[in-house]
Amino acid sequence: MSDIQTTNQAILVIGGGISGITAALEAAEAGYDVVLVEKNPYLGGRVAQLHQYFPKLCPPNCGLEINFRRMRQNPRVRFFTMAEVSSISGQEGEYDITVRLSPRYVNEKCTCCGKCAEVCEVEIDNPFNFGMDKTKTAYLPHEFAFPMRYVIDPSIACTEEGKKCQDACEYGAIDLDIKETTFDLKVGSIVWAAGWEPYDASQVEYYGFGEYKNVITNVMMERMASQNGPTGGKILRPSDGKEVKNVAFVQCAGSRDENYLAYCSGICCLASMKHATYLREQYPDCDVTIFFIDIRALDRLEDFYTKVQEDEKVTFIKSKIANITEDEETGDLLLEGENTRTGEQIRMSFDMVVLATGMVPNKINMDPLPDVLFDDYGFLIYDPEKAGIYGAGCVRRPTDVASSVQDATAASLKAIQSIARR
Amino acid sequence: MRKNGNYDPSFAREVFENVDFGDEIKMCMQCGVCAASCPLSLQMDHPPRQIFTLIRAGKREEVLSSQAIMLCTSCYTCKVRCPRKIPVVDVMHGLANYALKNGFVPRKDTANFGGKFWDQVYRIGRIDEKDLPRRYFFAGGFVEGIKNTLSFSDIGIKMFLHKRMKLLPERKIKGIISLRKMLDKAEKMQERGGASV
Repeated sequence: MSDIQTTNQAILVIGGGISGITAALEAAEAGYDVVLVEKNPYLGGRVAQLHQYFPKLCPPNCGLEINFRRMRQNPRVRFFTMAEVSSISGQEGEYDITVRLSPRYVNEKCTCCGKCAEVCEVEIDNPFNFGMDKTKTAYLPHEFAFPMRYVIDPSIACTEEGKKCQDACEYGAIDLDIKETTFDLKVGSIVWAAGWEPYDASQVEYYGFGEYKNVITNVMMERMASQNGPTGGKILRPSDGKEVKNVAFVQCAGSRDENYLAYCSGICCLASMKHATYLREQYPDCDVTIFFIDIRALDRLEDFYTKVQEDEKVTFIKSKIANITEDEETGDLLLEGENTRTGEQIRMSFDMVVLATGMVPNKINMDPLPDVLFDDYGFLIYDPEKAGIYGAGCVRRPTDVASSVQDATAASLKAIQSIARR
Repeated sequence: MRKNGNYDPSFAREVFENVDFGDEIKMCMQCGVCAASCPLSLQMDHPPRQIFTLIRAGKREEVLSSQAIMLCTSCYTCKVRCPRKIPVVDVMHGLANYALKNGFVPRKDTANFGGKFWDQVYRIGRIDEKDLPRRYFFAGGFVEGIKNTLSFSDIGIKMFLHKRMKLLPERKIKGIISLRKMLDKAEKMQERGGASV
């Protein structure tokens, strides 16, 4: 796999989420060689974890499938999963890149028959579902994984359990002797699309995330609503698995708060409104209350806000929630805040609370750091003086999928120009 | 000054310039976390967020005579939680001080108690747990004084049993002259606009 030859006419794309995939394909279809490097065992990133997009409420897998097909058809894109860029040296037009490949222990002979997972007995928290369920240590990351290939967790690679999986495989696809390898690349320019991670909601102590079972985050809600999620698509209370009747959304959980995440992520309002539609579809009697500071539904997205407001079971209350306490017997949650439109003090009880947490740009773990500029919050700034490395998507600013795709296309063009102008 | 209907920015400006920490109010985004974190918000006629918005709306009388600005017990929860890092406690104390200076007495009891407390610290350098309540209780006349004293008698007896209160009057502290000098200086500094000036 590492017999890859590139020249300074090639483009490196870091990150295989929707931004990285888009940037890679746009450049490849314009006739440039592209190498895509992804940390996870699958492409698709955060988008693969979503149930539906707002505002059209269509499934993301459809768009991802189209992109994967484009990728399969285009020999100019080569991609590596379980791979990380460990160093970048040089400058625009002549970057030397080192890529580290973590062992997957499963080669291209894998047919996804699942025999290894059948015999495997050791389980780990499923990272794809934010630890809400378990997965075997020989596993397919998720049902639509691309590349469609199993992974052996490194924790069992050198154990009897690993051998058991290897013996169970009829196709000789499991190779436990694969070691971590590195390889070098030469590229002319780089698109940085390392993506984001959800803000750690447990930082906001008075919301009790991690302590109260029925306080979940928006990304967990997304997994719970997905057919390939931990509950098979049914939204259930984590504490007792019961159907929900009365759900609260706490907007700006940590966001727009100088003590936590000072900026607005710009998507959480829409995400919570989208979650309200998930709930209302599954439970016609479910009451939904959204507590907000301001609803930020910009441009055409305001139509979606208007649509959700029309639902009489969905209530919007202008209040930042100041405290959540759990009733230990029932697992219900008491929310306190001030309704800033009426001045009333709020004390309301709910079955389940969803915290709308913001987006944090993924850090660059590299020594020395490549020559790029960051703002105070860790987002990449475009500096015309520092050509050669171009941010795309959520490493530049928190944004939705559609804008990420636009941004990635723009970054791709910049990367092409960087090569073409020499 | 330009006026738009009922909106009058002159009071807001007055607060920004004259009240300790008054200009911090500019940061307020009206989320209401201060009110919802406040253990006394239900007793307040206007919780902090409303006070801030009334200042912006130019409601001078309403703010400076509001009980809320004198109800703050300095628990600091609002200051810790404010997403805009406004020191809400300090603003409330600043407003209370400013109100008193301008002849408003939002809560007679609190103002009275504060005055007696300060007098006693100035006189003997410590608090006499019998003398301070006595002065406070009897401020409204003899009959009321007896009523107030009786209503607190069980607490008084407990304090006595726990040796938190002596029968004899408290004596002055040793360095009372030095303490008074310090307090005088502090007061002058405050008049000049705080220690940092």
